[in-house]
Amino acid sequence: MQRLGSQRSIGARAATAVLVLLLALAGCDAGGQTAASGEPRVGGTVTVGVEGEPAGQFNIHSSAADVAASTLRVVFDSLIAQDAKGDFHPWLAKSWEVSPDGLGYTFVLRDDVRFTDGEIFDAAAVKANFDHVVDPKTASQYGAALLGGSAYDRTEVIDAHTVKIVLKQPFAPLLQGLSTTYLGFISPKVLASSADKLAAGGPEVTVGTGPYRLERYVAGQELAFVRNDDYRWGPGNVTNTGAARPERLVLRVLPESAVRAGALTSGEVDIATNLTPSDAAELERQAGFSITATPSPGLPYTLFLNQSHGILGDEDIRLAVLRGINIDAAVAAVYGGKYQRAWSVLGPTTPNAYDPSLEGTWPYDQQLAASLLDKAGWTGRDAEGYRVKDGRRLSLSWLSTAAGGSRENRGALAEAFQADLKKLGVELKLTPVEIGTYLKQLKAGEYDIIDWSFVRPDADILRLHLFSKFAPIQNASYVADPQVDEWVTEAARTTDPKRRAELYGKVQHWAIEHAAMVPVYVSANLIGSSSQVSGLRTDPLGWPWYYDVWTARS
Amino acid sequence: MTLRWLAGRLAAALLVVWGAVTLAFLVLHLVPGDPVDVMLGPQSAVGEDVRARIRADLGLDQPVLQQYLTHLARLATGDLGTSYRLQRPVFAVVTEQLPATVELGAAALGLAILLAVVVALLARGRLARGVAEALELLAISSPGFWTGLLLLTVFSFQLRWFPVSGGKGIAALVLPTVTLALPIAAILSQLLRHGLDQARRQPFTTSVLARGVGPGRLLGRHLARHASLPVVTLTAYVGGSLLGGTVIVEQLFGRRGVGRVTLEAITNRDIPVVMALVVLAAVVFVVVNLVVDLLYPLLDPRLREAQ
Repeated sequence: MQRLGSQRSIGARAATAVLVLLLALAGCDAGGQTAASGEPRVGGTVTVGVEGEPAGQFNIHSSAADVAASTLRVVFDSLIAQDAKGDFHPWLAKSWEVSPDGLGYTFVLRDDVRFTDGEIFDAAAVKANFDHVVDPKTASQYGAALLGGSAYDRTEVIDAHTVKIVLKQPFAPLLQGLSTTYLGFISPKVLASSADKLAAGGPEVTVGTGPYRLERYVAGQELAFVRNDDYRWGPGNVTNTGAARPERLVLRVLPESAVRAGALTSGEVDIATNLTPSDAAELERQAGFSITATPSPGLPYTLFLNQSHGILGDEDIRLAVLRGINIDAAVAAVYGGKYQRAWSVLGPTTPNAYDPSLEGTWPYDQQLAASLLDKAGWTGRDAEGYRVKDGRRLSLSWLSTAAGGSRENRGALAEAFQADLKKLGVELKLTPVEIGTYLKQLKAGEYDIIDWSFVRPDADILRLHLFSKFAPIQNASYVADPQVDEWVTEAARTTDPKRRAELYGKVQHWAIEHAAMVPVYVSANLIGSSSQVSGLRTDPLGWPWYYDVWTARS
Repeated sequence: MTLRWLAGRLAAALLVVWGAVTLAFLVLHLVPGDPVDVMLGPQSAVGEDVRARIRADLGLDQPVLQQYLTHLARLATGDLGTSYRLQRPVFAVVTEQLPATVELGAAALGLAILLAVVVALLARGRLARGVAEALELLAISSPGFWTGLLLLTVFSFQLRWFPVSGGKGIAALVLPTVTLALPIAAILSQLLRHGLDQARRQPFTTSVLARGVGPGRLLGRHLARHASLPVVTLTAYVGGSLLGGTVIVEQLFGRRGVGRVTLEAITNRDIPVVMALVVLAAVVFVVVNLVVDLLYPLLDPRLREAQ
């Protein structure tokens, strides 16, 4: 959940856009499977170039890092699996039932599952794991919240292979949470004997039931996994349910996107993840390589307009910002069609919640923006051409860090918006600060604009970003509206998917109509792969799913 | 070299380390922002109760003076503490990454000295000097990141002579070594040539030539010796500050090493690791300076007589 363009012809850009769209559609349909050619080959080694490693983050129950969940997916299985459409499938649980009051979730477990250290996976193992997640000593940064946070009561062992999660109040996002790596299962033996060593990780403690087990971790260099030959319990949404095909899976840490892409072309790695749009476009021009692009679900890259104080307290000014920046032009120029512009505060791939009716409803309109500013009384001009009112300049400050600006080249977008706003007579101050100062100012609400994205395949992300009590983190706009509070609270409690979609539709319209936030673009995890490998899938988050991968290289 | 001299040096070294530790501690505690907040990151929805628990676990809830004294006491017994972020003993973290950096640093420094000597001695004609000066300027002014990426693109991605990195033996060491060595070689080469030119203009050169000594012997036995003094000083300085250069090279080539550990520790405000690296850097500078002090009398007879 937490986490660097080229100039090209219009034709090439359009072709890329079409390709990305096709890939996106394929992703919705088949879970992002790349075309497999021929019979899967057993054996060999698949090498992946990755951006980072989960250093100190191997305890999936306490970590909130994306890199922990994506890297360790092959080691830790979950009760259930979620496909790209948002539907759930059996995994370590054969079936499940939710009580009518939404307070009891009963799971019937498979009876043939073992951890790679020989421990049996049963109801007691599930209880031991969830007890570990909520144990204050674990200091869980994410897992405990996915389990319901204050809504979670306890886990009960019904019989050897039946387990029940009991809630204090209904918590609809629970199933999605249970499908994540953060709520995967660690060997009970490890939990009992060396829970304090979990975070550092290593073959002795990073033990799960997954299709691979950790063989070697060389900090700063690579993670090597070896196949779990006994694996028979793959999730219900994939074709392979037996052991993985390649004997080894090696993740090589190559922090620079250009180096990962280069290593892919030279054959040093078979797959390269997290590529920049320009590196991905470059790879696409070469024969023998393909790009998988899965748009991220959850909150797109968004600008939060702080309405708690100062100029942006005026809704007309916020609307002027929303309509006065040319998002289409900026996103196209910086990402060359690899990332799509956003029209809603939810990404289109967010399951059962995205409202497409917002698309095209708030295009760039400089005249409208100018008239809104006039209407708000900012009619004077100073020597530099900026609007003034009562002797005060129409000036907005954007809080950011240098690292934040270089991520996905977001700083270039900010500069484009700064130029757009200057045409309207609005000054936008961009002064990146050091992370400590950033956090202090964020907590104190000392900013007009702040930006981020938040990947999660559940619309409950809107509750985190709009509920009045969550200001300024994650509600960085300081939205405080009783109606919105009611919508997001009800949506978190109701288990009826139709009602949830209806409520989230209202929230999405509200956020744009009141210009609480400005959604900018939907990023995508751009994964490059060699034609030597097949079966690469992505999970709902767009992260690579290595279980089905096989290689033709011997 | 008396025992008293050695004891004095040791006391000075301890003072330097203590000063570095204290300064680093002060800076880390004066910069704005709470270490736990920085570690968790801006988007973390972690509640205040969990943050307080992590702070208590790390001893960050103690008064700053007590944290400082605890740290010094532990350091005195050789205990570097436990990394906040990695949840492992700092000693283990640093010692497992250090060999890779020492390997890269030593290889780069060795190559740089070799290149500098060869270029300075060979490029004596007008044209050769012009070419050498232009190349030196290019090597010094090119950012390491750019040089490395260029070398990678040509020799790894296109020609496939060398792998990018990893535990692939000596072949994987070539490109990072060249990337790190080029700017150092250029600076040393400039300095060495300047030193040779200056030595050649000294009156002793005329007298040596008058004795009938040939140009080769003049260069090898007399000029080089004079020119090497500032080069040794600079090499020592460069050797001590290689850590900074390795950060970029290790990051680009995906090599393990202390440089990357330093970068991660600073960005994540992993105080115990930063403090350990400050101690390491201080010790390296002290040792390098000691070696240089011991080398001077060997190169310069005047210093031998003085002692």
